[in-house]
Amino acid sequence: MTTQAVFESLQSTGLANFLGHQNHWFGALAQLLHIAGLISLLSGILLVSLRLLGVGLREQSPRLLARAATPLIWGGAALLFISGAFIFLPSAGIYDKPAVWIKLALILAALLVHFTLYRKATSTDTPNPVLARSTAVLTIVLWFSVGFAGRAIGFT
Amino acid sequence: MSLIDIAQSISDSPIGSAIAESAIVFPVLEGSHLVGLAISIGLLFITDLRLLGLFLKQVPVDKVLQQLRPWVLGGFAITFLTGGLLFWAEAATLITNPAFPVKLVFIAIAGVNALVFEARLGRRAAEWAALPKPPAAVRFAAAASLTSWTVVVIAGRLIPYLGTVG
Repeated sequence: MTTQAVFESLQSTGLANFLGHQNHWFGALAQLLHIAGLISLLSGILLVSLRLLGVGLREQSPRLLARAATPLIWGGAALLFISGAFIFLPSAGIYDKPAVWIKLALILAALLVHFTLYRKATSTDTPNPVLARSTAVLTIVLWFSVGFAGRAIGFT
Repeated sequence: MSLIDIAQSISDSPIGSAIAESAIVFPVLEGSHLVGLAISIGLLFITDLRLLGLFLKQVPVDKVLQQLRPWVLGGFAITFLTGGLLFWAEAATLITNPAFPVKLVFIAIAGVNALVFEARLGRRAAEWAALPKPPAAVRFAAAASLTSWTVVVIAGRLIPYLGTVG
C-alpha cells in the first residue's frame, strides 16, 4: 500500500469526514491552536537552550529551568498534535509531499535528541559544557526547522 | 491618490512583485516570520507570565527581564523585517483585509505599552524585584502585553481567512 493510499484511506474515515464537514472557521480555529502550541513548545525549548548555551538566565540551574519548561513543551506538543490532526485528516490526500515528510523526519530527530542528549544535559545543575552547548544547538535547529518546514507545506 | 492606490503601487513595484513571484523568497520569508514570532512573542510571554507571578517564580524578575530582553528584541527584528518584506509583496490585498488594520492597531498598542513599561518600570526593575508581588502597574503592563500580542497573532493568522480573492 502506498503512502498516498494510506493518506486517502485516512481521509475517508468517519472522524476525517466529520472534521471535513465543519464550518471553515473550524479550520481557522485549528490553525490558531496550532500556532499557540508552536509558540508554547518553541518558547520552552528556547528558554532551556539559551541557558545551556550560557546566554540567557545563566545563573539558573538547567535542571530547574527544564522542569519549569516541561509543561510549556509538552502542553504545546499536545496542542500541536491534536490541532495538527484536525488540519491533516480532512484533506490527508493532498499531504503526500516532500515538505510533509521532511517535517515528520525533523520531528522524529528532534524527539530523539530530546529523549537522549536533552534529557541528559538537563538532568544536572552543572552539565558538561560541550554536551550542554551541542544539545542546545541541535535542539534549537531541529525544533525551529520543524516550524519552518510546516510553514513550507502550503507552498509546495 | 488613495491608500488603496498607494498599496497597489507598492506591491506592483519591481521588488514587491519579485518577492511575490519568487517560489523561494516568499515561502522563506513566511517561514522566517513564523520563527521570529516564536522567538520574540514566545520569550515575551514567558517574561509577562513571570511579571504576573505565574511562571519561573524562583528566578529573580529583574534577571528574567534583563537576560531575555536582547532575545525578544532580536526576534522582533526578524519578525518586523520579514513582515515588512511580506507587506511589500502583498500590500494591495492586505490593505483591504479587515484583519490587517486590527493587527497593526494592536502592534501599536503593544508597542506603546512596552515603551511606557520600559521607560517607567523595566529599567528600574532591581528596585521592585525583591517585592513579594510586583507593583500593580507592572502586572497591568504584563497583562496588556499578553492580551495585545495574542490579538496580533490571531489577527495575523486570520488574514488568509478574511481576505477577498484577487
